[in-house]
Amino acid sequence: MRNWFVGLLIVGFVSVLGCQPQDKKNTSTTQTTQKELKVAVAAPYTGSAAAFGEMIRRGAELRQKEINEAGGINGMKLTLLFEDDAGKGSEASLVAERIVNSPQKIVAVVGHFNSTCSLAGQEIYDRVGIVELSPGSTAVEVCERSPWTFRNLYHDGFQGKFIAQYIDNVLTDIESVAVFFDNDDYGRGLRNAFVAEAERIGLNLVASEAYERDSTNFKAQLTSIKAKNPDAIFISGLFTEAGLIVKQGREAGITAQFFGADGVDSPDFLTVAGSAAEGTYLTTPFTFGAGGTEAKQMEANFKALHGVTPDTWAALTYDAVGMIKEALEKTYNAEASIEDNRKAIREHLASLDTPEEGYEGVTGLTYFDINGDTVNKPAYVKIVKDGQFVAAEKQLRELK
Amino acid sequence: MAQLLEQFINGLVLGGIYALIAVGYTMVYGIIQLINFAHGEIFMFGAYLALMLITVFNIPFWIAVPASMLLCAMLGMLIDLVAYRPLRDAPRLSALITAIGISLVLQNLARMIWSARPRLFPTETLPAFLVSEVNMQTGEILNAIPLPGGGVLPYRDVCILLLAVVLMIALNRLIYLTKIGKAMRACAQNRVASNLMGIKTNQVIAVTFAIGSALGAIAGIMVGLSENITPTMGYYKGVAAFAAAVLGGIGNITGAMLGGIIIGLAEVFGAGYISGGYRLAIAYIIMIAVIVIRPSGLFGKSTGTRA
Amino acid sequence: MKDKLTPKNIILGLLICFLPLLMYGIDDIVDFLSRSDIYLGWPGGEYMLRIIVRACVYMLLAVGLNIVCGFTGLLDLGYVCFYLIGGYTAGILMARLGVSYWVALPLAVLHGTAWGLLRGAPTLRLTGDYFAIVTFGFAELFFRIIRNEQWLVGAPNGQLRGIPSPTLFGITFNQNWHNYYHILILLTLVIFITYRLQHSRVGRAWVAIREDEQAAESMGINVSRYKSLAFAVSAAIGALGGAFIAQFQVNISAPFFEFWESILILCMVVLGGMGSIRGAMIGAAILGSLGEVLRPGFIIPYQFGNARYLIFGIILILLMRFRPSGLSLKKA
Repeated sequence: MRNWFVGLLIVGFVSVLGCQPQDKKNTSTTQTTQKELKVAVAAPYTGSAAAFGEMIRRGAELRQKEINEAGGINGMKLTLLFEDDAGKGSEASLVAERIVNSPQKIVAVVGHFNSTCSLAGQEIYDRVGIVELSPGSTAVEVCERSPWTFRNLYHDGFQGKFIAQYIDNVLTDIESVAVFFDNDDYGRGLRNAFVAEAERIGLNLVASEAYERDSTNFKAQLTSIKAKNPDAIFISGLFTEAGLIVKQGREAGITAQFFGADGVDSPDFLTVAGSAAEGTYLTTPFTFGAGGTEAKQMEANFKALHGVTPDTWAALTYDAVGMIKEALEKTYNAEASIEDNRKAIREHLASLDTPEEGYEGVTGLTYFDINGDTVNKPAYVKIVKDGQFVAAEKQLRELK
Repeated sequence: MAQLLEQFINGLVLGGIYALIAVGYTMVYGIIQLINFAHGEIFMFGAYLALMLITVFNIPFWIAVPASMLLCAMLGMLIDLVAYRPLRDAPRLSALITAIGISLVLQNLARMIWSARPRLFPTETLPAFLVSEVNMQTGEILNAIPLPGGGVLPYRDVCILLLAVVLMIALNRLIYLTKIGKAMRACAQNRVASNLMGIKTNQVIAVTFAIGSALGAIAGIMVGLSENITPTMGYYKGVAAFAAAVLGGIGNITGAMLGGIIIGLAEVFGAGYISGGYRLAIAYIIMIAVIVIRPSGLFGKSTGTRA
Repeated sequence: MKDKLTPKNIILGLLICFLPLLMYGIDDIVDFLSRSDIYLGWPGGEYMLRIIVRACVYMLLAVGLNIVCGFTGLLDLGYVCFYLIGGYTAGILMARLGVSYWVALPLAVLHGTAWGLLRGAPTLRLTGDYFAIVTFGFAELFFRIIRNEQWLVGAPNGQLRGIPSPTLFGITFNQNWHNYYHILILLTLVIFITYRLQHSRVGRAWVAIREDEQAAESMGINVSRYKSLAFAVSAAIGALGGAFIAQFQVNISAPFFEFWESILILCMVVLGGMGSIRGAMIGAAILGSLGEVLRPGFIIPYQFGNARYLIFGIILILLMRFRPSGLSLKKA
């Protein structure tokens, strides 16, 4: 019992000494010169979206290496902390809590990837006031709901519209479309945007079928779709399921054109679908074929570091880390409190609101609207040719 | 009508796979009254082991399949030996929790070894007739039987169905005509009494695990052929197969086979005609209705309350 | 659990009451050290508190599940459905209809109770594994309904967003330490009720049903009534936990209520020893925080990101092998 008592005394002593009211503590804490600046990169490194997380990590690592080799940020080293949200909202909120309260003094967050995770983390980032810059969440409401959330790619409202117009204007021999969508927020949101636009421009929508994430057998729905005999099938979902849908669809004798969105943009789609992937169209926020010399340079560096070709997400993360780096370079004040520094990053990002102010990265110019959305970036169309993603011959530049 | 026929065949193929998995659940339950949650994971391991044998050790497909079955049978027996045997006389729930624990361990082990990425059998390693593909110009499908009304039935699905039927008949014969089958039935009726009669019950249980696991392994390979191989496949297919086992009256092998077919058909028709989101829900509704109305399952003997 | 005012209990009580203070205290020590560039790798206090609150919710659920599993001896594999019902009832009422939390909470509990009775009615005659399977099926059905019925939740996949925090006298309870005391009060209440029930006629009737249903019936116990009561109380507690988690998490979605959660709660009860309130709480405290405790050490090699679940599984197997009746010293 004596040990307990002594222990309690110590604990009590420490608590009384150390525990100031929360708000007071925050303002009174100032940092001495820090040799490292820490940025969290939150993405699904495990779970069903792990293939995306892997590319995000590699893209971020490349940028980190380049920044530190070039002398860091105003002489300070950039350290990235990788936090795994497993693609689940419940995990993401814990990860967010971990990030904002870490004694490591994290100044900004790059992530999350899944829209669900971005939204779950957002609540916590907002409360504390830390920037969440997503290189992958495309659900419309992600940026609308929070002043602290930004993204450097288009949202689903744009993407759905784009796909409908592309099918209507560029692939003119397609008369009727079917939608096969993942029954979650990403798939549904994109499908709704697509269907609304298709109805507006008079594209003939013959079927709309749902599937559940993680299901592996799509023959039942594909048989129903086949009976409607569409010219094209738009898959609104992620690469694993899309790969299986394409494969099983071809086996079931479907000859319609398959069309996917950015969720399909992963080399794993090609692995899963095999030779059936041939000729599949998909949209993406960025393609290396369309990028400038910087993109070529990044592609080469990426291959040298990781031994694989980078994909869209690696490039977007590479840019996102770059934007945070630029913000830190311009605003970081070692004397100010961590809260002020976090706020300064947000102010800097929010000030990038015109093309002149925008950030020029490998994925093109990025600037934000009032919500923190990137509205200027075009969508690119890729096609699978000889087991590779290549830019489609005809691109659509302007939306009507 | 053509669509109906095609959906019916889709359901039968899926049902055949479920039946093979369900047999593993039901056999173990019949003998030691344990819901072997780890069975779904053995099924997943079957697919992965076959894949490894083919891709890493370059073993031809026809040898890899029985080899994977053998390995899985050993895995099943090992699990029984290490985890379940010490708990034979412990409270029933301890064994159930252990089963859940093993399921967790195996699933995450698979994730660590093979990563969460979906995998497939490389097309060039498979016998040619198992790979069916559409010719984009003519719309003609290779290695498949055309059905009336534009549908197709790939040879692979025919093989899956035939194999499922053959294995089921073989299992049935094994249980009703051989000595070990008799011992299994005796153990299912009363383990203690069988032990007193000189049956080596532990051996019989080990054989049960081996047979169930081997059938699970081949079902895993079938799923790997038509769908893909992921660490979570064991859970998703396992749950449906479990519903099938219950539907047929858990502990009843013939019931499990028919239950598998019914669940497969219900799932396909549900997804095809109602909503893809309710795929498995339809199976659950059937399952609950059967239990509430006829607790011993569609084909089970009424044995009063089971504790 | 006799009310003993031993020094140990007093210290424990004080610790529980002043836990947030302690956490913030540790935060400040870490903060102090980090100024001299010493990093202990100790996670932040708010984060710790959040884990503790989550573990407390699991304690609540484990105590609730223990009523059906431990006292009446029926294996419930779908307890998570009451958690789901509570969460979505409170969440929809608050986020979409603007009802105050203090009204939504009792409504959610009542709704959960109603479903507990409804689910119980057809299963009264079922025992053992059949009961378990029906409960499993029910939970999966609810899970799918929430995922698919968009008109109900307003978004796909059961995404319910922006559930407001409760307010009272102009104070918004959205800090982690608010939530800590909030769940502490709920938990105390639930433990008190369960404890009183356990040691009353009702509790003895439940145990009698567990030991031998037929014997209990022949002794004049109305088995159906007492079973229904157990289902109702258990469901009410589950719904209470759900209503709390809805405002705590702010956003809820269907994957919160997966089948896996049912199993997790069941493991907690079994780990601590079935039929013991203290056991259920110990089990929940261990398993509810284990996933997070194991997180930092295994995150570095990415392919091993799931190692924590692997270890979790191994712990379960070893425990069942060497302490099959749970960690609790008292025999259930």
